[in-house]
Amino acid sequence: MSKIEEVKVLVETGKSKKVAAAVHEALDAGDKAQDILDAMIASMGVVGDKFSSGEIFVPEMLIAAKAMAKGVEVLKPIMAGDVSNSLGTCIMGTVAGDLHDIGKNLVIMMLESSGFDMVDLGVDVPAEKFVEAIKENNNVVLVACSGLLTTTMPALKEAVQTIKAAYPDMKVIVGGAPVTQEYADEIGADGYAPDAGSSAAKAKELIGA
Amino acid sequence: MLTARQNLVETIKGGKPERFVKQFEFMEFIMEAPVELAMAPPGTTAKNGWGITFSWPEGQLGAFPVHDQEHLVLKEITDWKKYVTAPSVIYPEDRWAAAVEHAKAVDRTEKFVAAFFAPGVFELTHHLMTMEEALMALYEEPEAMHELIDYITDYELAYAKELIAHIHPDALFHHDDWGSQISTFIAPSMFEEFLLPAYKKIYGFYKDNGVELIVHHSDSYAATLVPYMIEMGIDIWQGAMNTNNLPELIQKYGQDITFMGGIHSGVVDRPGWTKEEIYQETKKVCEQCGKLAFIPNLTQGMHMSSFPGVYETTDEVIDQLSREMF
Repeated sequence: MSKIEEVKVLVETGKSKKVAAAVHEALDAGDKAQDILDAMIASMGVVGDKFSSGEIFVPEMLIAAKAMAKGVEVLKPIMAGDVSNSLGTCIMGTVAGDLHDIGKNLVIMMLESSGFDMVDLGVDVPAEKFVEAIKENNNVVLVACSGLLTTTMPALKEAVQTIKAAYPDMKVIVGGAPVTQEYADEIGADGYAPDAGSSAAKAKELIGA
Repeated sequence: MLTARQNLVETIKGGKPERFVKQFEFMEFIMEAPVELAMAPPGTTAKNGWGITFSWPEGQLGAFPVHDQEHLVLKEITDWKKYVTAPSVIYPEDRWAAAVEHAKAVDRTEKFVAAFFAPGVFELTHHLMTMEEALMALYEEPEAMHELIDYITDYELAYAKELIAHIHPDALFHHDDWGSQISTFIAPSMFEEFLLPAYKKIYGFYKDNGVELIVHHSDSYAATLVPYMIEMGIDIWQGAMNTNNLPELIQKYGQDITFMGGIHSGVVDRPGWTKEEIYQETKKVCEQCGKLAFIPNLTQGMHMSSFPGVYETTDEVIDQLSREMF
């Protein structure tokens, strides 16, 4: 198995304690940092698909994301200043009135692992705060809004519509237990992901990456 | 006419119930018993005996553990013994008095005297250390997690001894959410390794000490865990969501376990709820699931709803459906 393949397997299987050494070995063997990063991103794509299909569960996804982060730590100094690695900034938060954060955190990990720079607004985020965050951050290409409660679905609608009123071209993706594709369409969101595993692919599709 | 208790027994034992079991009608909850709750009253913040801080902000539907660095209890799983100390299970007798009186006053031919316990073993691990850390620790530090789970289990067993000695419950309502709406949090094999042994001990202890009925709450998908539920001694899985294939589960496992739920709280328990909508949802699930090994019920735990009137109206609807279908 090539060193880069080894990194891929270690990320996919969430071996966070071994990834850093494997990335160093891959670099020593002559693999380019960009290729190693791409391999790890591809691994997380596989992890996301397996999660969506029910083959793996939340812990497996979490440890894979942690392993990827360890690998990225090694690559960061080498790739510093190379903005071409970033897909842009994504603002994410759980909408007003809703304190659930696990789903949001999983999506953040998956999007970060696929190349987005993530800005986490936390939970119970008023619609206006999403707009302010777009203003305050550079290169925002996507906003992700999460809502876990049926009762906070109106807040999800308000968030999407407030963002769209201020930034009509901004792509907005929504998700959460009670949310459906139909509801996403109804409230004017550009995209919907039924789970964290599929969120990265949808996010990339929305920005044309 | 069968009492609520008798009608429940007929329903879960494959007998001849006279009507649908109406949600929690068969249980008389003894909520006065002292217990370390995962709770703060609405609009407040409170710390329980484990040192976990809970906050229930105004306008929210429940309390959440506070997990910033200041409030987090378990900061490093491999050092759990340094951070985690179980509260005492010995409460002054006057703290038990109201619970004892309440239990004595119940006609046990009518209802089961029901003890309440929450949070469960899994919930307590993530209340202590955050969900993400608890889930990752199952992989990364399995030995420490086994030790922590054993410690929590021993606490539960010690508490159970006190509870049984004071109120002699006929039933236990035990809370531990094991999944989201569409999936279990952990793989069935991991559940088998970490949680099944703990619950076999806990539920086995209750059953060995006179508790006839174990009702476990997990308002989630958990179809893949049903064989383990049976093995650990659960009689009724409450909170069974319609994201599980309930008719199929009833057919496959109904001789060993009863499924209580099917009426999705997220769908009917909301602002602007209507009786007609509750009727349609309840009728659909009653027709799909039938009269045995099934109890129509809102998936939220206990005899309550988030929005006033929904629970009571669901009761009325179930009465109506009993008249129409029995």
